[in-house]
Amino acid sequence: MLAMAMRKTPLLTIAVLAAMALLTACGGGGASNTISFNSASCGGSWTLAKPGWHTFELYNANDVGGEIDLIDPRTSGIYAEADQFGPGTTQTMSLNVGSGRYAFRCIFEDTDPMTGPTVTVPGHVKGFTATVPVTNNELVGPAKQYQAYAAAGLKTLVGQTETLASDVQRGNLAAARGDWLRAHLTYETLGAAYDAFGNFDDEIDGRADALGVSNPQWTGFYRLEYGLWHGQSAGELAPYASKLAADVRSLLAAWPTMEIPLIDIGLRTHEILENALEFQLTGHDDYGSGTTLATTLANIQGTRELLSLLHPLLVTRYPGLPGVYTWLDRLQTLLEAEHQPDGTWVPVAQLPASAREEIDAACSQALQELAPIASIAEPRNT
Amino acid sequence: MGDADKLPGRRSFLRGVAGGVAGGVVAGGAAGYAVRASQPGPAMAADTASLDGRLPAVPFHGRYQAGIVPPSQRQTAVISFDTTVDGKSGLADLFQTITSRARFLTAGGTPPPVGIDGPPSDSGVLGPTVVPDGLTVTFGVGSTLFDDRYGLAGKLPGRLTPMKPFPNDDLDPAQTGGDMILQLSAGNADTVLHALRDIARHTRGGMQINWRIDGFTSPARPAGTVPRNLMGFMDGIANPPLSKAKELLWVQRGTAGEPEWTADGSYFVVRLIRMFVEFWDRVDVYEQQQMIGRDRATGFPMDAKSLFAAPDFGADPTGAVIPVNAHIRLANPRTPQTASSRILRRAYNYDRGIDQVGDLDQGLIFTCFQQDLKRQFEAVQTRLIGEPLVDYISPFGGGYFLALPGVRDTADWYGRALLA
Repeated sequence: MLAMAMRKTPLLTIAVLAAMALLTACGGGGASNTISFNSASCGGSWTLAKPGWHTFELYNANDVGGEIDLIDPRTSGIYAEADQFGPGTTQTMSLNVGSGRYAFRCIFEDTDPMTGPTVTVPGHVKGFTATVPVTNNELVGPAKQYQAYAAAGLKTLVGQTETLASDVQRGNLAAARGDWLRAHLTYETLGAAYDAFGNFDDEIDGRADALGVSNPQWTGFYRLEYGLWHGQSAGELAPYASKLAADVRSLLAAWPTMEIPLIDIGLRTHEILENALEFQLTGHDDYGSGTTLATTLANIQGTRELLSLLHPLLVTRYPGLPGVYTWLDRLQTLLEAEHQPDGTWVPVAQLPASAREEIDAACSQALQELAPIASIAEPRNT
Repeated sequence: MGDADKLPGRRSFLRGVAGGVAGGVVAGGAAGYAVRASQPGPAMAADTASLDGRLPAVPFHGRYQAGIVPPSQRQTAVISFDTTVDGKSGLADLFQTITSRARFLTAGGTPPPVGIDGPPSDSGVLGPTVVPDGLTVTFGVGSTLFDDRYGLAGKLPGRLTPMKPFPNDDLDPAQTGGDMILQLSAGNADTVLHALRDIARHTRGGMQINWRIDGFTSPARPAGTVPRNLMGFMDGIANPPLSKAKELLWVQRGTAGEPEWTADGSYFVVRLIRMFVEFWDRVDVYEQQQMIGRDRATGFPMDAKSLFAAPDFGADPTGAVIPVNAHIRLANPRTPQTASSRILRRAYNYDRGIDQVGDLDQGLIFTCFQQDLKRQFEAVQTRLIGEPLVDYISPFGGGYFLALPGVRDTADWYGRALLA
């Protein structure tokens, strides 16, 4: 396989160069252009004859890789991007070209960004709109706010896990079950930070999957849930409850030195609920309490926090944003309907088929609506 | 982003309605059925096509749905959905979205790029350009769609009920029924699964998969015969001729007891039938042939010398050659009285793992189309009650549906006459 790919490369280059020469001679009009980029020229001179669907053939003649964007030079908005663009390779870029201004911007490794000449398509034809990229700077504020949100959640959680530990130590397991749910739901609102929590997350909220339910190394909320809802004694559970409270205290102490990568702010807007669909709505993470619908609600709260932080950046960039709220609201309403008057939750396995289908459909559609945010809110160098 | 043409302002699970096709091929006019109707051949669906490679597009628009009559493609998926939309207008939006996706998928084309505004608009399973590969999308509705949710109770098709359990059935409620059925068929499994993922992606909030099963049609072996089922017998030899479609296949306008909107639809029966193939393989071939009524190697009726020859049951009143309880004799006695009960039979093999004792879970996705569910399928199935074959099979799921009338043109949509 590898040998074949290597053999092909020089041939491809020759073919592309030939095609380029041909197009240069023709002036670059028509439905497709091959445009060459190198260390001195970001696309050189090119033209667009008319609006409509257009496919550009881009050839990276530079000896380094990088990214080439087609931008609106007035706003620096991006119509289309060719990322991970290796030297000596070609990529295609397709878009619906409308009336407006177009320029290529080259961001090669170890080179200052260059913007090529501006090409104007006259008239009043509507095509793609250039999305103004979100910058690192714009995400610093939301990341700091999220850091503070997580810190506040962890402070609450310290008190809740201490109450849980003391009720377990006193042997009041009925109270401990209530404590457990309150504390676990608090933790489940912090979904964007789990990765940043590192090993703490495994200790605090790890699944039994790889370890098995009787392995003493399995600790945290799910371990306690398993014991509290499977008739285990206070004596058996007390060490786990104490360890959970201690782990949460340590996490709170360490939190100021931890950092949420800027890219996570956008990514987690759908990933939190991807996990809820995979682990909560399937019932996978039900270790006995039957509260995975409540967990999903806590996950929605965490998702809404991220959305509110990103809202100023999204409202001008994502026309689908109202749909996000429509479906989160619907999902939330459907879940809240399963909260029983006595405070318990209907376990997913006991939901009537139609209720479960409605919940799964609403969660799936909410995820579909959320998915573009990860791309839109990805920090880009401009 | 920000383009109205990239994100429609409709209910959001309907992104597909306005999701354009970049440089795509638009399916041709409404001539689809006429082309198919003129196909030569001894039967409506002879199931004999040896279909290799990428098939051309099957025209989507037409008076009837395109997937009902033509020869079976190699690969199929039968998927039952329950609706999760609110109200009749929500249901209409859902049907329009399914129409729009089916129109694109059956024609093929290049999915639109999204720039930096989101994940790709297509799964990429078929590469950068979606090939039609002979894809057909057959869409039906079940009786539960006509309950009190959408105000459609008065429009229930006259013969549509929940699937009736027959004495030898062992129906699993989790694999039976559903508000809607989609059958996706194409030349290759990747085309079928791409279509399923595309349709599901565009309808996430509007419907949920209830049950599904994948199937395949084998090549005819030997060439020129009829594909075999997993019992080793050729299946679907004796389908009625296309010239009988008006009497046997399509619901006719003005039929007593049928709402007007059902005209040009067809009742669509799906029966999921496990075959106990290990048991079957321990039965000698003579006994197998007695149960079926055909020669296993050639497919010929036991009293005839060619595949498509009609068995002469009248000449064999005691069943000396073809027993009176043989499958082909009960299913189609070939009498004037039973001629109107003939069905368009389209069966697919399925194979999906093992059971609790390690036997292979293989069998038949029996599907058939007909004008009148009771006069046809149920009459045939009633004759088959207690046939010797029942020891070797177990029907465990499926459902009764009405395949909707065809989508006539680019302005039309599935179920418009029902929902508009």
